[in-house]
Amino acid sequence: MKLSIRSLSKKYSGNVWGLLDCNLELNTGVLGLLGPNGAGKSTLMRILATVTRPSSGSIRWNDLDMLSSPDPLRAVLGYLPQDFGVYPHLTAYEFLAYLAAVKGLDGPAARRRIEELLSVVNLSDARNRPLGGFSGGMRQRVGIAQALLNDPQLLIVDEPTAGLDPEERVRFRNLLSELSGERIVILSTHIVSDVEAVATDIAILSHGRLLSHASPEALLASINGKVWEVLLPSADLPALQQRHLVSSVAHRTDGVHARVVADSAPFPNSSPLEPSLEDAYLATIAAGRATQAGAAA
Amino acid sequence: MIAATVVLAAARADFLERVRRYSFLFTLGLALYFGYMATVGRLTLRIGDSRGIYNSAWIGGLLAVVGSTFISLAGFYFVKNTLQRDTETRVGQILAATPISRFAYILGKFTSNFAVLASMIGILALSSIVMQLVSAEDMHIHLWKLLSPFLLLSLPAMAVVAALAIVFETIPFLRGGFGNVAYFFLWTAILIAPILGNSPLFDLGGLFILRQSIIASGAAPQAENSFSLSIDSGQFKAASTFRWEGIPWTAETLFTRLLLCAVALLLCVLAATLFDRFDPARGYRVLRASPTPALPVTVSIPIASPAPTTKLSPLVTKAQRFRFPAVLAAELRLLFKGQRWWWYSIAAGLVLAQALVPKPDARGMVLAFAWIWPILLWSSMGVREQRHQTHQILFAAPHPLARQLPAVWLAGVLLAVVTGSGFALRLLLDRNLPGLFAWTVGALFIPTAALFLGVWSSSSKPFEILYTLLWYIGPMHAMPAFDFMGSSPATATTHYPLYYLAFTAILFVLAIAGRKRQLLI
Repeated sequence: MKLSIRSLSKKYSGNVWGLLDCNLELNTGVLGLLGPNGAGKSTLMRILATVTRPSSGSIRWNDLDMLSSPDPLRAVLGYLPQDFGVYPHLTAYEFLAYLAAVKGLDGPAARRRIEELLSVVNLSDARNRPLGGFSGGMRQRVGIAQALLNDPQLLIVDEPTAGLDPEERVRFRNLLSELSGERIVILSTHIVSDVEAVATDIAILSHGRLLSHASPEALLASINGKVWEVLLPSADLPALQQRHLVSSVAHRTDGVHARVVADSAPFPNSSPLEPSLEDAYLATIAAGRATQAGAAA
Repeated sequence: MIAATVVLAAARADFLERVRRYSFLFTLGLALYFGYMATVGRLTLRIGDSRGIYNSAWIGGLLAVVGSTFISLAGFYFVKNTLQRDTETRVGQILAATPISRFAYILGKFTSNFAVLASMIGILALSSIVMQLVSAEDMHIHLWKLLSPFLLLSLPAMAVVAALAIVFETIPFLRGGFGNVAYFFLWTAILIAPILGNSPLFDLGGLFILRQSIIASGAAPQAENSFSLSIDSGQFKAASTFRWEGIPWTAETLFTRLLLCAVALLLCVLAATLFDRFDPARGYRVLRASPTPALPVTVSIPIASPAPTTKLSPLVTKAQRFRFPAVLAAELRLLFKGQRWWWYSIAAGLVLAQALVPKPDARGMVLAFAWIWPILLWSSMGVREQRHQTHQILFAAPHPLARQLPAVWLAGVLLAVVTGSGFALRLLLDRNLPGLFAWTVGALFIPTAALFLGVWSSSSKPFEILYTLLWYIGPMHAMPAFDFMGSSPATATTHYPLYYLAFTAILFVLAIAGRKRQLLI
């Protein structure tokens, strides 16, 4: 199972690049796609889900060009878009049955699968209620269920935990971990802890460019020895934030404890800290921004 | 003062949002086209076999009436979406949390609606100068005579239409397709009411005032008995012309126009009263509450308890065969979902009446009603995926063009076949094969046209409007050229069913092309 993305670009009207020269090679596992708003995550996901056509580049699914023949990929694809709707008059079961038919699932197998999925996303009790009366989180779970209908080999989920309560979020993360063994899962989110829990690989996008593609360990190693805790009066915090990348701040009785990402200790009394994935993400984004600013200058 | 600023700010944002749409240019283009038709003599105001000389008064009066008549129909549909857009974009909920009052909000929306419609009238008014020069019968431009009908006939009409559009949006059952169809009949009634009642009160289009003024001027003696605004292919050659110097704007005439402005204001007050301020707990936006308690029930988990886990077994049958009957059944379910028992009862009653009514003409009329009844079901074809934002999911499924679209189309055809089955049964019993052929073409034409318009416009409105218009002109008036369903016995003896079949085939191909364009890949 292999997904190869080569020199993929998407240009929108007004000379805006949603994605620029993106290269990725994916095998089974969970790829966590991180990036700020407008980084190009959803663009990349829509292209991979065959919903949007790229401006240039190629995508190969098991060495098959999916731009010229998307249907083999669609047959094994599960896609949860960031913004999706439901038919308000259908019940959860009817909606899933409709999509199962469209995806070509066999009748009895489809029925069994729908029952199981409704149980997995904790909607069995609400299976016969019209979707129009569902809360946002419940609709999101219906979306998750439909993405898994055909037991996809490529599962693309865009901001899947948006609107879920903490318990459902944990439930979904566990489900994703369990599913990841025998398929490629692409998970887009801006919640670093979601990625931290399940991703076997992490790709960071910013302004349509791929800044990094590495394992969580490699990403953490890249900033090893570059994360510091600084204790300072709260009045000095704005100055620190201007000079350094501050990834978190905690106000305590003895002053402000700031978590700083820097090549060397910002102050003599700074103490080194174990890096987190959030530190690595922020450092990568900041480095990307600096490179772009340098190129523009 | 603050309220006025708020109203104008809301109106300005809304106005700009609308006039930057292609549909504005399209509607404007159509209005200008009708203006052009009037100038070249294809849309004529006839008094017997004569007409007025194309001077400023005649051109101004004619184009103002054409503009207010046409824009009061097309313009209504163009502006009847302002509250809907705020609902769909969820901007409404943001606005609802601001101090803006319901009346100020409605007034802002009315102002925007009116500004859009007035800008169409304004452009038509400006173009009337060019049209007078092009017609070259009287090169003297008299600005007041040319523009006053636009100002005093058309603009008050636009105010009423702008307010009516808001009222329709605030009444739940008039918001959607039913309102679109209902407005067509309301518009027809409003246009003929002054003529029937022989009163200038509520003369929306201004045709009655124009007629009265021509009669009063004595320029055309036979005006009282023969007066019509009609479209023809240019064969009408006026036997004589007369000079008419325009509408004398008496206090009484001005009062009737001011009365329309007052009606518009009252409609705004009514709309503000009915407006639910985007409260999702009111109106149609929320489906009827389920008798079961709300889910999920949040259960607090002790900190020490393990996180909930789930197991999903692999799908045993991975084979994904083309199961057309299953997709068709699902599409049929989707098509009929949400219809109440009385909808089915009326549809069944109409089927029964088709089979039992003895006179063919009357039976044809019943068929016409049977095939307008499911209009809102057909108008959702090709649109549903975009409207409910399921298109990304559906279009990422295998073979969306070969699997889902034909099922949508066939579901629409089956709907036509079932709802018109009584008529077909009688044709079969009478061995009327030409009639059966015309009926079959109708059953294919309606869903195909719906699918084509839905896929290309991403809106159910064009089908609802155009179909109602065609239905009204064709089957209801037994005009074979427009009788697409073969409801009149005479239609089956013509070549028109063949033309409609060819047209249906073209629309079907174009619908596929439209969906292919939506798929992007």
